Amino acid sequence: MFKTFKFTRKVENTLMLIFTAIFLIYISLSPDMSIDSLKGVLVIGVTVGIIYGLVAVGISLIYTGLDVVNFSHGEFFMIGAFTGLTVYNFLVDGELIYAIFPEAYGVVGYVIGLFFAFVLMGLFGVLIERIFLRPLTKKGGGYTVAGMGIIICGFGLSVILQNVAYIIWNPTAHPFHADLGLPINIAGITLPMTYLWMLVTGFVVAGALYFFLNKTKMGLGVRAVAFSKDISNLVGINVPLYISIIFGIACALAGIAGTLVGPTYQVVVYMGYIILLKAFASAVVGGFGSLPGAIVGGFTVGLFETACSFFISGSHKDAYAFLLMVVVLLIKPTGFFGVQVKMKA
Amino acid sequence: MLKIDGLISGYGSVQILNGANMKVDAQSIVALLGGNGTGKSTILKACSGLIRSWSGSINFDGEDIHNNPPHKIVERGLVQVTQGKDVFPAMSVIENLRLGGFVLNSKQKLEDNLEKVFDYFPRLNERKNQLAATLSGGELQMLCIGRGLMSNPKMIMLDEPSAALAPQIVLDIFKNINRIRKDGLTVLVVEQNVRMALLLADYGYVIKDGVIKVEGESKKLMYDDTVKDSYLGGGGTTANV
Repeated sequence: MFKTFKFTRKVENTLMLIFTAIFLIYISLSPDMSIDSLKGVLVIGVTVGIIYGLVAVGISLIYTGLDVVNFSHGEFFMIGAFTGLTVYNFLVDGELIYAIFPEAYGVVGYVIGLFFAFVLMGLFGVLIERIFLRPLTKKGGGYTVAGMGIIICGFGLSVILQNVAYIIWNPTAHPFHADLGLPINIAGITLPMTYLWMLVTGFVVAGALYFFLNKTKMGLGVRAVAFSKDISNLVGINVPLYISIIFGIACALAGIAGTLVGPTYQVVVYMGYIILLKAFASAVVGGFGSLPGAIVGGFTVGLFETACSFFISGSHKDAYAFLLMVVVLLIKPTGFFGVQVKMKA
Repeated sequence: MLKIDGLISGYGSVQILNGANMKVDAQSIVALLGGNGTGKSTILKACSGLIRSWSGSINFDGEDIHNNPPHKIVERGLVQVTQGKDVFPAMSVIENLRLGGFVLNSKQKLEDNLEKVFDYFPRLNERKNQLAATLSGGELQMLCIGRGLMSNPKMIMLDEPSAALAPQIVLDIFKNINRIRKDGLTVLVVEQNVRMALLLADYGYVIKDGVIKVEGESKKLMYDDTVKDSYLGGGGTTANV
């Protein structure tokens, strides 16, 4: 009898709702529960979530475009943070920026840092893909066949990039004192400017990505290559070039996310792997390979994690993302926006 | 227009084509016939650069396109329409068509070609904002051919345009193929529907085991004993349909 029970989409959704309800009831019984704390959790959760979302979008993009999970993605996040920090420090140590922008030197320096993190990480990603991953596909069969080699190469790259960063920036934690102004007060919550920057920039970048993918010719090409390399070839898209573009965009997103996170914590060589795993969890929760899913998954993981660490216990902060991932995989294996099987010829 | 000499190719280490020779004249319809697994699609894939050709030469419009990257071949004006109705199901019909014109540089040309494709297949115009996944089999085939026409090709290679379609729709599509030729394009059709293909084409090739076995005017081929025996039934052989 049990065997005939069908695990339909309806059942999945019901179970997800039950899980959400239990979770909400549980946290509402917490002694710390109040409107103010809820507001705080919401804002921080969404802020953390958009960062997870940006990194997860990169992982999903590479997955759809190259058919592999890029396990060195966290390192691009870390090096992006270092790039932003280095550019910012270089500008702030000089005289020029004070002369031109005496009032807003911190903001200007930070924006330039973000810009450099985005552009340099994008170029760096293209370089890494061309030098280390592309040769693996030379034996024929493209990325789909070379998959396992590329995954292992990703792990290796992760170690190598960490060690390169170790040599350049040394293993100590670098504080990122971005001088962005005083904390502001929105609707009763005092929010540090760094969080506001994360929130606003995150949404702007996500919006720009949506615009790029849906409204530009190049974005159309990216979506086509992500679906099928063979048909893309036949309509005259330069597929090798677009694979580089996909990798570059994904790495650029990770880089800008790194610089956004930098000022709220510290910049350290080991910051990459935990964000990789959490972004991976976000991508799985949202539905692996789906770009809107990655953003939604990022929000879900961010909110869940923040709520749990505030209302339940802060000492297990890093475990909650994976708890959610396991629950989603058990109840709704496709994630929120995922499809069962990617249709391939 | 297209000239293939001693083409040898295959997948991985499996050799499929054993030196195929073909010639397609400008503004003609040429049919390439053969059973399953004889190398029809392989010839097309080698021409459009999807697989490497191991030896031999492929000459298109006076230029050697042997082992050029696929997008360069499309830019030169040789477009393949694959079998199995390969479209982007998650994109709308119009987005699929726009992708077909990816190599065009001017917006005006793109709009002109859209107009042209909608003129061939008015059904696509009715459904232009629908997702490609919602189209019927015949409409998908129209979309595939339309997408191929979007890049202003000089020659179009169709891989089994009649596969798994109702006879009425096949007729409609074949009429349009004839119209495409009248408008100045060269067409190479790979078909298993031999009778229909020979009715449409000017010239035919029959491929077997990776080499061209029989060739000739399609009217002659229709009465050729080898072709008759192997494809048109009536020879009493066990060869395929």
